[in-house]
Amino acid sequence: MNWLLKYSPMEQAPVLVGMGESASSAERAENEVQINRRLGFWLFLASELLIFCGLIGGFLVVKHYAATWPEHELGSILLASGNTFALLASSLTVVLGIDAIRARNQRNLVVFLLISALLGTVFLGGQAVEYKHFIGDLGHGFGDPFGTAFFILTGLHGLHVLVGVVWAIAVALRARRGAYTAANYTTVEMFGLYWHFVDLVWILIFTIVYLI
Amino acid sequence: MPSLRHSQRVVGWFDMQRTVVAETNAPAAHAQAHRYTSPVVVFLVLTIVTAIEVALAVVPGIPHESVVPVLLALSFVKASLVALYYMHLRYEKPIYGLIFVAPAAFAVFLIAVLLT
Repeated sequence: MNWLLKYSPMEQAPVLVGMGESASSAERAENEVQINRRLGFWLFLASELLIFCGLIGGFLVVKHYAATWPEHELGSILLASGNTFALLASSLTVVLGIDAIRARNQRNLVVFLLISALLGTVFLGGQAVEYKHFIGDLGHGFGDPFGTAFFILTGLHGLHVLVGVVWAIAVALRARRGAYTAANYTTVEMFGLYWHFVDLVWILIFTIVYLI
Repeated sequence: MPSLRHSQRVVGWFDMQRTVVAETNAPAAHAQAHRYTSPVVVFLVLTIVTAIEVALAVVPGIPHESVVPVLLALSFVKASLVALYYMHLRYEKPIYGLIFVAPAAFAVFLIAVLLT
């Protein structure tokens, strides 16, 4: 697996620069485990991206062939913009949290993770308000093409945000008990990759569903 | 066990670039250094580009058809910034980027076929 070894600022030093001749077999085995975990997680994210690309493609195809398609109101676009800002800010706090644990600051890691979870909850609250308006006031649902495409795409993304919020709280609770160190924070890193992925997908959804 | 030293200089959240240095005394490895952009700067760029996107979409008088390619391009730029800097693909082996981008390229091809 040496072909996967390369320095990265977010990685632990042994994984970053490869193992020297004097490294023990246990260290080499642990190093291999960390590399495999990261590779596996990237493969998981790739499969997730494929799912979302399929749904975004489905949304565009349904919109292309639908007889009528509702225009988004200004209020709906502004609400989605606020949600976008919340997710972008939450990605920043996750990065700052990982920076904190790398600087051996457990407390700041917990604080930034909880802020990220709070921003994710704000996003979900905004989505709930939007759904209430679309279903209650405008009468959209799974019976019309827009409702079907919109709710499946944004609903699955919202589910991912919910999973991310729960995961962030779980990681924060473990961090509070001192589970992570500057040399061992792979789980935090995995959560970070997941959260940024959710952010990345929303960036695409926001433009395709609300702006074009 | 090799003695490892992982040092980092962080001037502040708003510094444009930071230096991270990893060193080891292992014979096979050598010290490497990368400069990478502050996450706050990336966040500010993402926020500004989002504001531009929203303005292009809601300000009256701009033909919608001419704005669509610009909005898609800006969205691609934002997604790339998140992948490169927040997900650290810029600092990773290209294989990780290939694993991540290959499904997206396939999906874009599929969408293009379905819409034409």
